[in-house]
Amino acid sequence: MSKQNEKVTINIDNQVLEVKRGLTILQAAERNNIYIPTLCAHQDLTPFGGCRMCIVEVEGMRGFPTACTTPVEEGMVIRTHTAQVQAERKEILQLILSEHTSSCLICDEKDECKEYMGTIRKAGVITGCRYCPNDGQCELQEVVERLEVKEIDYPVYYRHLRVEKDDPFYDRDYNLCILCGRCIRMCQEIRTANTLAFKQRGRYTVIGPAYDRTHLEAGCEFCGACVSVCPTGALSEKVRKWDGKADREEITTCPLCGVGCQISLQVKGEEVIGSLPAEDPMVNNGQLCVKGRFCVTELVGNYQRLRRPYKVQNGTKVDIFWEEAIELAAEKLSACSGEDFGMLIPPNFCNEDLYLAQKFARVALGSHNIDTTARSFYESGFNTYLDLMRMGAPLSDLQEASVILCIGLDTRFGRSVVGVELRKAIARGAKIISIHPRHHSLSVIADKWIQPVPGTEVSLLHSLVRLTEKKRTGTTRSKSKGIGESLGDELATVAKTLKGTSAVVILVGSEFLPYDQSPQILEAIERLARNIGAGVLPLPAQSNLFGSILMGAYPELLPGGFSSTDKKRIAGLRKKWNADIPHLSSRSNKEIFSSGKRLKMLYLMGEVPPNLRPPSEFLIVQNIYPPVPWDGGDLVLPSAAFTEVDGTFINGEGRIQRVRKAVDPPGEALPDWEILCRIAKKMGAKGFDFSSAREIHEEISSLVKGFGDFDNPARKATSLTCEGELTVSQRRSSGTKKADKKLPFLLTTSMVEHTYRGFPLSTWVEGASALFAPGVVDINSEDAKKAGISERDEVVVTSSHFEKTWPARMVSEQPKGTLHVTLLRGESVGPNPHPVKIRKKNV
Amino acid sequence: MKERSVTNKDLIHIFSGFKSEEGNLIPILQRVQEKRGYISEEAIKRISRFLKISENQIFGVASFYSQFRFDAPGRNSIKVCLGTACHVRGGQILCEAVERELDISPGQTTKDKRFDLERVACLGCCALAPVIQINDDIYSRMTVIRLKEILDKYE
Ligand code: SF4
Ligand code: SF4
Ligand code: SF4
Ligand code: SF4
Ligand code: FES
Ligand code: FES
Repeated sequence: MSKQNEKVTINIDNQVLEVKRGLTILQAAERNNIYIPTLCAHQDLTPFGGCRMCIVEVEGMRGFPTACTTPVEEGMVIRTHTAQVQAERKEILQLILSEHTSSCLICDEKDECKEYMGTIRKAGVITGCRYCPNDGQCELQEVVERLEVKEIDYPVYYRHLRVEKDDPFYDRDYNLCILCGRCIRMCQEIRTANTLAFKQRGRYTVIGPAYDRTHLEAGCEFCGACVSVCPTGALSEKVRKWDGKADREEITTCPLCGVGCQISLQVKGEEVIGSLPAEDPMVNNGQLCVKGRFCVTELVGNYQRLRRPYKVQNGTKVDIFWEEAIELAAEKLSACSGEDFGMLIPPNFCNEDLYLAQKFARVALGSHNIDTTARSFYESGFNTYLDLMRMGAPLSDLQEASVILCIGLDTRFGRSVVGVELRKAIARGAKIISIHPRHHSLSVIADKWIQPVPGTEVSLLHSLVRLTEKKRTGTTRSKSKGIGESLGDELATVAKTLKGTSAVVILVGSEFLPYDQSPQILEAIERLARNIGAGVLPLPAQSNLFGSILMGAYPELLPGGFSSTDKKRIAGLRKKWNADIPHLSSRSNKEIFSSGKRLKMLYLMGEVPPNLRPPSEFLIVQNIYPPVPWDGGDLVLPSAAFTEVDGTFINGEGRIQRVRKAVDPPGEALPDWEILCRIAKKMGAKGFDFSSAREIHEEISSLVKGFGDFDNPARKATSLTCEGELTVSQRRSSGTKKADKKLPFLLTTSMVEHTYRGFPLSTWVEGASALFAPGVVDINSEDAKKAGISERDEVVVTSSHFEKTWPARMVSEQPKGTLHVTLLRGESVGPNPHPVKIRKKNV
Repeated sequence: MKERSVTNKDLIHIFSGFKSEEGNLIPILQRVQEKRGYISEEAIKRISRFLKISENQIFGVASFYSQFRFDAPGRNSIKVCLGTACHVRGGQILCEAVERELDISPGQTTKDKRFDLERVACLGCCALAPVIQINDDIYSRMTVIRLKEILDKYE
């Protein structure tokens, strides 16, 4: 195409402009700073042409075309603000306002009113801007102002729609809705979650999901994208309803899973009032999941944050100053041998904190007894999981994949940004194959949903492995035991699809990780990936799992992922740190942490459920919230949340990302590394003279490749390199138990994976408890009927190992003869899957 | 019209005549409505699976057209005429009175399944406007006052 064809010359308001062909009049005007009022248009969404605010005059065209839908043409002469156009706009705006709570907009006293009506906002029904959460940041207000509408010549009509407050995280008052359709387009075009639609028509038109379902029932992901684009106060975030406009933003990394989305923290004064997606083409592309979008604010801003150190003395809480706290910690720790010391840290800390924690254990205590809580999450599958991370592919591979195999992945709440990518892939013709035992976010959209009976995953994957072998001998039909003939046929088709293309990506979610057979499942995935030459993308639930390995926050691993039994490496570190670090004794740490041996000192950086930690004589807890119960530690130290520190994370792809400080920690809380440094120095240890995370980062860079530039981390997606092996315990049972007459149901369990610093999000985030409800047992609706159980009945689940009572939830897609329950970390009911029987609890 | 039991066989049969393409949504909805008299939640769910469109979108489209009903028909069907002649003679007021009396909106069925309500355009006896039809009975020159008495006749 010649250059001339790419550009057209147009005239807007007597300015001659050269603009790109294919732009709309609105886009051309905006790029040249010419204002055209709009309400329904949005830069990220397709034009809709619904509000008619953007009408203009075009010479030679009849009527007033809408600028947002009309493409520019060579020689067009456009006028945006003629008297006629303005009059028409005002007329239309009046019509819109006649169905809006417009009193404040047209009231003569509005400016004075603003002065005096400071605090009567929290009215049940919004009757004007002064009572609206959108006041001061509203696009409708702005357009009214610009068009100087001062009166409404039409009868005013309030729709009397019920304000919808029953869903978590955001409220909906459709009495304020101007039917611009932005939320619908956002939900359908960008999120492709398809929760919203126009319902009914004419003056009855409303927006919402099918029937009168709540968003929770209708499959909404609570990504908040609709809330962000709503030009009015119709959609409003619960927690920041009355906070108004932020005065600055800080870009940081979400610490709530291994995707590592970039978020923009909205800061007002010294408080984080919201978090919005940041543009980052490599990771989340302007999208977030419910955790990053809605959970962050409450998570770090809860009034119950820990503000001062305290000790527990004779059963009473005694607030103390930092000096005393540091002294007490140093005194106790100095009297403790390396053997009798233990430290546990969840992997959603910054690299700088993880590095310092292991240095603290190794140098100040002369002990390798540092471990992360990821070990109890992955258990016996941990090493195989690391193997998958060693094969790790970048997220951007999804953009080119023609087949995406999802194994145990549900993208509704966690990792929904990956779900968005998957649906984009479908739109460009890629196929999704999902292996998942239950109804999940991909079951409707996947090309094929393979639903294994619990306990048959290994044989299912093995037959896929066999079917995709390069030189395959023997019969074509797979003869795996127990997976059924029709499934066998399906697998043959799937294998064909997988072999038919070179661009396959395998995504691994969390569903199968707590299964007894997870090592075998993960191993089969690895073999399958090798057979078909696919990239594997494990999506860890922990934000900095990768970093915890490279920082050496495990007894078996040193910084750089080297093995602690490597004598040369230990010698190198001794020199580097100028300290006497022990060689790892033959007694592996796993034994120390699980042998039940009573430690003298246990240092918890975060919350760890009692049955996942060794008993101890003295317990130090360092966290942003007090332990539960409050006297669950002997010394409690307040630390800073991720919004209050600088540092780096490594996401699941191996990319280094910056964590940036947005506000000061509350009260006297300090960054984790600083607390550790103070204690170490008090103990007389050397090498803890750091005054910032940046300095720690520099030290890391001398030990680990890819670190160095703190401000612009250079390490892009890189698969894991780790020489060390972890010692893992074998699970209680090998092989799979089948259901029988006595115990006719198979129960599978998942673990709540939505945690921060060891506590489940639902502890401190109100809305999260509605989404991630642990302790509810899913039963197939027909099975439930037969057993006389209905929704929310208490159900007693019994096996040879345990008896538990949970409320029931009917799920028509739950496979017959199976049950499912999500447990909190540290809860366990024995084997998984697990044959059980059920009965309704007698009332 | 009697409520027909929901069978998946019907649906599978209907689907077999169509490709899984978004453009087939309305024809499928029409076939389902023809076959069963209304579009049930279960039907929307199955159509969603078949066409890979969300239930919310299907409901949105279906509710735009007044021809689709989402409730099973009641034992008795009321049709209120809102054609031109009936409209000028108070058809709308009549309709609202029925809505109030039965506590349903047009397109819905009462909880006890006794009545369903629909608006229609011209029943063909404009001279007798306003007109309502219950099952096969026509009531002409209707008034709000007579309404309750008439409704009481139907069980
Ligand atoms: S949505 Fe905007 S214009 Fe409407 S009441 Fe709220 S602030 Fe005022
Ligand atoms: S929160 Fe997200 S998924 Fe839910 S309705 Fe809004 S855009 Fe759709
Ligand atoms: S809820 Fe907001 S975004 Fe959605 S149509 Fe109404 S005004 Fe527009
Ligand atoms: S997908 Fe993960 S990183 Fe992204 S917002 Fe959600 S929890 Fe945070
Ligand atoms: S902005 Fe163009 S019609 Fe709404
Ligand atoms: S308008 Fe009512 S019968 Fe014709």
